[in-house]
Amino acid sequence: MYEKLILIYPELSNFDFGNGVITIQNDSDGKGDYIAKWEHPTLAKPTDEELA
Amino acid sequence: MSSVVISGDTSGSITLSAPAVSGTNTATLPAATGTVMVSGNMPAFSANANTTQAISQNAWTKVNYGNEVFDTNNNFASSRFTPTVAGYYQINATVNFGGGTYPVDSRCAIYKNGSVFANGSAFITTLTANGGLQSVNYLAYMNGSTDYLEIYAYTGSSGTTLYGDSTNTLFNGCMVRSA
Repeated sequence: MYEKLILIYPELSNFDFGNGVITIQNDSDGKGDYIAKWEHPTLAKPTDEELA
Repeated sequence: MSSVVISGDTSGSITLSAPAVSGTNTATLPAATGTVMVSGNMPAFSANANTTQAISQNAWTKVNYGNEVFDTNNNFASSRFTPTVAGYYQINATVNFGGGTYPVDSRCAIYKNGSVFANGSAFITTLTANGGLQSVNYLAYMNGSTDYLEIYAYTGSSGTTLYGDSTNTLFNGCMVRSA
């Protein structure tokens, strides 16, 4: 998921992910990573089509 | 008289018994209102990770604690603690990172009901021969029905694993007082 987001928004940094602005989560249930929270002040949350 | 039986108004009873040993002992109840806690209604659990687990870069990943050491009230399952007695619980967890590139932000957190509840220490400068150990400790109120706790780990590095071992990757807790 992180790699896909960086391709869409190269300006994202580790700080955005480590401090609760964007939360990628994996519940270890076999369903993989997903965006649990997106509170970036200027960048819109990518659509499912963009992430596919 | 070796015991006193107090019957409930509609059903059930409580038996207060003296130990079958000589000597005189005194149990003093506090001048306060509350529930008397005994071992049977004070859940405690302990688990550790028995397998190595890969985690994604910059993603909070649930830690698998597949080996139960003890679980006094059968409240721990699938790496999740869901106590059935309401009260305050001391929770402790450690995660041992391996692989990856350092220094980097790597930590673990207590998740309550699916969301981060308490973050642990946040940075690993370099790995030792045994990995990079991070921990989190917190006192959590649990409602005794729907509230549950899990441990999640995070790293800013790619190529990271969580070591599975019985002494470094731990999740345990116990009730310290009732609701």
